Amino acid sequence: MKKPLFWLSMLVLVLSAFLAACSGGGSSEPSNTEKEKENAAEENGPQDGGTLTYALDTEFKGLLNWNFYDMDGDDDIIELFDDPLIDYDENLQAQPNIASWETEDNKNYTFTFEKGVKWHNGEELTVNDWVFAIETIATLGGEHQRWSNVNTIEGVKDFNEGKADSISGLEVVDDYTLKIAFDKARVNNLENVWAYPLSRKEFEGIKPKDMAASEQVRTKPVGTGPFKVAKVVPGESVELVRNEEYWKGKPHLEKIIVKVIDSSLTTGELKNGTVDLAPFHPTVLPEVEALENVEVVKYPGLSYYYVGFKLGKFDGKKVVMDIEKYQNTKLRQAMLYAINREEWVDAFFSGLGKPLNRPIPTSHWIAADNADMPVQYEYDPEKAKALLDEAGYKDADGDGFREDPNGKEFVVNFSHYATGNPTFEARAKAFTQYWEEVGLKTKLQMTDVNLYYDQLEKDDPSLEVFYGGWGTGTDPDPLPLWGNDTVWNYPRWVNDDAQKLLEDAVDIEVVGTDTEKRKELYVEWQKIFNEEVPVLPILELEEVMAVNERVQGVEYDVSGQNSAHEWWIKQ
Amino acid sequence: MLKYTIRRVLGMIPMLFLISIVVFSLAKLMPGDSLSGEIDPSNTDPQYISEMREKLGYNDPVHEQYFRWITNFVQGDFGKSTRYKIPASEIIAERLPNTIFLGMMSLLITYVFAFFMGSFAGRKPYTLGDNIISTFNYIGLALPSFIAGVFAIYIFAFNLGWFPSNGSVNISLEPGTLDYWLSRIHHVLLPAIVLGALSTASYTQFLRNDIIENTRKDYVRTARAKGTPESKIYNTHIMRNSIIPLVTFLGIDIGVLVGGAIITETIFTYPGIGQLFLNSVTQRDYPVLMAVTMLLSFLTLFGNLVADLLYGLVDPRIRLD
Repeated sequence: MKKPLFWLSMLVLVLSAFLAACSGGGSSEPSNTEKEKENAAEENGPQDGGTLTYALDTEFKGLLNWNFYDMDGDDDIIELFDDPLIDYDENLQAQPNIASWETEDNKNYTFTFEKGVKWHNGEELTVNDWVFAIETIATLGGEHQRWSNVNTIEGVKDFNEGKADSISGLEVVDDYTLKIAFDKARVNNLENVWAYPLSRKEFEGIKPKDMAASEQVRTKPVGTGPFKVAKVVPGESVELVRNEEYWKGKPHLEKIIVKVIDSSLTTGELKNGTVDLAPFHPTVLPEVEALENVEVVKYPGLSYYYVGFKLGKFDGKKVVMDIEKYQNTKLRQAMLYAINREEWVDAFFSGLGKPLNRPIPTSHWIAADNADMPVQYEYDPEKAKALLDEAGYKDADGDGFREDPNGKEFVVNFSHYATGNPTFEARAKAFTQYWEEVGLKTKLQMTDVNLYYDQLEKDDPSLEVFYGGWGTGTDPDPLPLWGNDTVWNYPRWVNDDAQKLLEDAVDIEVVGTDTEKRKELYVEWQKIFNEEVPVLPILELEEVMAVNERVQGVEYDVSGQNSAHEWWIKQ
Repeated sequence: MLKYTIRRVLGMIPMLFLISIVVFSLAKLMPGDSLSGEIDPSNTDPQYISEMREKLGYNDPVHEQYFRWITNFVQGDFGKSTRYKIPASEIIAERLPNTIFLGMMSLLITYVFAFFMGSFAGRKPYTLGDNIISTFNYIGLALPSFIAGVFAIYIFAFNLGWFPSNGSVNISLEPGTLDYWLSRIHHVLLPAIVLGALSTASYTQFLRNDIIENTRKDYVRTARAKGTPESKIYNTHIMRNSIIPLVTFLGIDIGVLVGGAIITETIFTYPGIGQLFLNSVTQRDYPVLMAVTMLLSFLTLFGNLVADLLYGLVDPRIRLD
């Protein structure tokens, strides 16, 4: 009897030690001196110096050049040391950065570069570096993920096939002026064209296909941005130092260290102040908000989530709408009325999102005003029930669940992807409960994420109602997602009127260069979508970033962060 | 012995061959490929994806893909990583030193702790000290490394601030300097302890039981009877016999050294082979996935061979022919 008691007390001791550790780290109000310092800083404006630590939650691949990166992680680093030629403002309209442009007809463009912009190796940036980037991609052709961003330039295809030694659509007038002729006039030639230069000097003598593996890309990259890459520890961290000669002005920060940390470490690192800037998952928002030394910056995002219905299949060229089960519009509408989206967003996204009634994030300039949407889908289970009754989905056999209009058993087969994230099953389950409340029997199926997207793309019959999301870029054109000849049209929805509107909106013959006219067409399209609901729009996501209090001058809008040369640290 | 070694090495070839078939088919059976997943449509062109699939040969029958891969593999071409866009061998070579450093450190910790705790517990069994050591061992055996890792980070990195919670080195330090190496050791210590905890526990328990067993042997009684000092009996006679089985563990540890750190490396965001392996599985980076698996299989087979050879060396009663 003696021994067990001893062990028990040991255990209690150990446990209490844990608890003490958990409750440790008391809080303290900022003292007077700190406050005074703060005021002083505000009066004197930005201070120079200091090292900022920027955390990434995904490993970077080490493809540190705009022309070769293709996945998340790398671009966050490149942004700090290389400037794009064209920038986007908070309405996602193109703005001149290094290059400004003129065009009369949306086919022939004249680009003018800023003078005195220098690569980190001391060379001046000229239009030849841009030509070099386009030629490099054109040489690689379809193997390069940016091929579709250059193959609209006149003569690029001939160059790729070896029929021409140079690209006929590119005319270098002088070091700072380049004329680009596209193969035809389009509304989005400018947004689509690849506007990132590649230093001709740095990559001299390297074959295009070996460039991605070269040290100029992986460990010793150069750019034109506010910081220079000093050192790269592959997969782990990058050290950037101030570029004294930055063309927009000398950056305030001495150094930026970018490091990869596992997402489970974010809160702890932020609390200890070992990380100054960090993205984090919405689910940990309450913990991050509770930290006293950290400010949470929220800004509108460009992604939205939806629940889709498989209405047909993709035959390799065209979308065919031929699956009967969910064709009834009233059924789909009822399923949206049944969902309490606000409650759902609060529970699973910590409120970092807004319900929406169209498949376009609000920040896009083509987004229709929500008030213009014909149907406002507020949470209304009674309305949902009424709609289902109207559509003929009634409980015929008295089991509490509705049968289809023919009196046959009706089960909503809902699929959601499964990763390591434990909240996914819970949030999917919540949908099934909303639908069961209005009498629709629902079966949930959690599928491994890779298999899920595979099934989605190949129209696997086991997938009927599915959860999905899209992140849209700066080009607002919905055609690649919702057109009738694209594989990304996952619900396989076809509507001829809608298709016509989308095609007209990018047809230069119809809209010319008038953005207002373009927007009108998109608004019409959103109205059709809103009534038809081939997918139920659930929410648009708000992006979040944790910023340590000492960091100043960091701003975010829908197009991302401001230039790092404006950032500074309060000392 | 030489003949035995050669025979064993030759025997590895068909074994590795079979392993490669199994692993390759399992990898290909996994749904999706390196080009699927949550796709950002504004960044990805369906035409590019289908062209790349064709070019990477994902549309060919599996056996054709396998033969293409194995022919290149035996010629030393492990393929190009679809994720990092550089040869798989390069990316592995980049990460391997980190993993070996971590593995060595954890082995060192294991050996030192296991030796001292094991011999103490074996000499004074069923005392308070032995019991404390046993408690530690059972905790070590019972705690999975992902739990131990999270707790270790929480306590030692976040609350006490003794160790960093991630990475392998402070990037600001100049490679090769003393500070640089101190920083590396500082970074590796916590994951090494977590990684070593489990084997420390089993080694300690193993050594302890072996010492206790040996204490009851006739030769110990004889030594005691003729008046040999107690410390000499333990340190020379018993230790030499008890250490034999432990030496042979070294062989098995070679495989563990490289592959055993998958979870620990991920939790500590330590860029090594384990993390690389896990990422290559989730991203379907077949060339890296296959190269790492083959490397691990080879090391495991090789480790077993070393273990067998060591048996013969340390224990003359075992003959290998």
